[in-house]
Amino acid sequence: MTGLVRAEWTKLFTTRVWIGLLLGSCVMVIGFAILLTAFAGNPESGIPAVGTPLYEELAMANAVNVNVLFLILGIIGMTQEYRHRTATPTFLTTPHRGRVVIAKLVAYALAATLFALVVMAVNFTAVAVHAGARGDAPELSADNLGTLGSSGLALVIYAVIGVGLGALLRNQVGAIVGGLVYLFVIEPIIRQIPATSGAYKWMPGGALEALTATFQGPDVLDAWQGGLLLLGYGLVAAVLGTFLAVRRDVA
Amino acid sequence: MSTAHAPTSGPVRVEVSGLSKSFGAVAAVSDLGFTVEPASVTGFLGPNGAGKTTTLRMLLGLVRPDAGSATFDGVPYAALPQPVRTVGAVLETAFHPARSGRDHLRVYCRGAGLPVSRADEVLAQVGLADAGRRRAGGYSLGMRQRLALATALLGDPAVLVLDEPANGLDPEGIQWLRGFLRHLAHDQGRTVLVSSHLLSEVEQTVDRVVIVGGGRLVREASMADLRSGADGAGTVLVRSPEAVRLAEVLRTGGAQVDLDGDALTVSGRTTAEIGSRAFAAGVELHELRSHTSGLEEIYFQLTAGREQYAATVPTEEAAR
Ligand SMILES: Nc1ncnc2c1ncn2[C@@H]1O[C@H](COP(=O)(O)OP(=O)(O)O)[C@@H](O)[C@H]1O
Ligand SMILES: [Mg+2]
Repeated sequence: MTGLVRAEWTKLFTTRVWIGLLLGSCVMVIGFAILLTAFAGNPESGIPAVGTPLYEELAMANAVNVNVLFLILGIIGMTQEYRHRTATPTFLTTPHRGRVVIAKLVAYALAATLFALVVMAVNFTAVAVHAGARGDAPELSADNLGTLGSSGLALVIYAVIGVGLGALLRNQVGAIVGGLVYLFVIEPIIRQIPATSGAYKWMPGGALEALTATFQGPDVLDAWQGGLLLLGYGLVAAVLGTFLAVRRDVA
Repeated sequence: MSTAHAPTSGPVRVEVSGLSKSFGAVAAVSDLGFTVEPASVTGFLGPNGAGKTTTLRMLLGLVRPDAGSATFDGVPYAALPQPVRTVGAVLETAFHPARSGRDHLRVYCRGAGLPVSRADEVLAQVGLADAGRRRAGGYSLGMRQRLALATALLGDPAVLVLDEPANGLDPEGIQWLRGFLRHLAHDQGRTVLVSSHLLSEVEQTVDRVVIVGGGRLVREASMADLRSGADGAGTVLVRSPEAVRLAEVLRTGGAQVDLDGDALTVSGRTTAEIGSRAFAAGVELHELRSHTSGLEEIYFQLTAGREQYAATVPTEEAAR
């Protein structure tokens, strides 16, 4: 299994996709940190002022805004095998296809952990510099570290969900477009419509909000419940994906 | 080319039996059975759509058969303890375009638990050492075929399975491939199964043929038998100053003979059988050769119309 995980790492780091996604994540998170801090305390924005605990919570959880890129990381990790038709040599090398999917889940969870640490560090630095310039830089207190950490955990889980989703759908463009539509259209609509907003807390987005305890939206689960639920989504996608990868013909 | 050495795992025999697979209404492979022997090159021949690729993919556990089995010394691919050390396969010449050929190979070294130094060894073996660090996206079709072959060789396998490996190769590349496959089989004792839709492409390379049409077995024979017409498929040309007498001798023995001046065209007999009859009868021969140019014809006859009639004509009759 270690060999298979290393094989997946070799695949990941021998093309430049990871650089693009990591740089993109850093740029995005800096952008969001600047926006958040610039509008902090502005009564029309509704963002609490720099220095308040609420602002710091929002700022520390800011990294979850790049969850879409981590989802894409996982999706590409799995679907590249079908897109570039390397599934054939991959499954010839490892006929127990479930082991391939598990190795990918582990490899991408580990890689996403590294990337998430970078994104968290970049986010904290951006917030500290900008909020510091506005008079009150947040400290690395236990609370702040906790929020920062759960945002990183959420990113790792999104990468895992991406691998599972990729195994399920196999089509790279389809999986990415589907993921984007889900995250930016379907979930926000469900969250907004009163009739369905009750269900939102059980969806990945609701679980994410619960885990990082950020926005004052519809009622959400406890943080630990949200974390478990999100992880559950990742595992369900992975198990379904593994099951299908094992059964389907590679033609 | 590598020095002659036997594969680490020893000779392995491939057995296919009762293999069937349908895609919806299309019966791609029906009750197909044949064997592939070590130390020889076996051609897996049939027109496009005959079911070759589907058969090879079932052999390698990529496509799930509806019925039947395919084994390596009795073990199905997925149950082999170290599959890439037993079987190497060239099915696809697609690679991640942004990854170098060498990195591609290193990925599969890691996955199979082989030392990554194997990547450089097989690159050299297929003549790609210089291009190994370039992105595979920039490779020509011939280079892709070589990289696919290199991937198959990583585990030093006893069996090599190649699906239409000559596609995209230039004449020089085809020449090289022929020599390479013969070397792997004859000098190193490996089992080589190579598919093609063109008899002419493999006829100089292979020792045995398995011919399929419409998903069914049409003929399984050695090239020598097919050429000499030992199983009634080919003809033998004979020239003799006593052609008329020889024709009588052969006809008495039950052969079918066409006489044209000093030349005889004999069907249903091998060159060896004709030679010994002539010798016994004391007939002088000036020429005795199997009619090899007719091989393409035989192949065409064997496979022509297979697709249309496969559903209605039983294999045995259609083969005759
Ligand atoms: N994945 C698939 N789905 C549907 N039909 C298929 C599939 N793969 C092969 N076929 C059909 O099965 C038959 C055999 O195809 P194939 O094994 O590729 O033949 P060959 O390799 O000899 O050209 C063809 O009629 C082909 O169209
Ligand atoms: Mg084919």
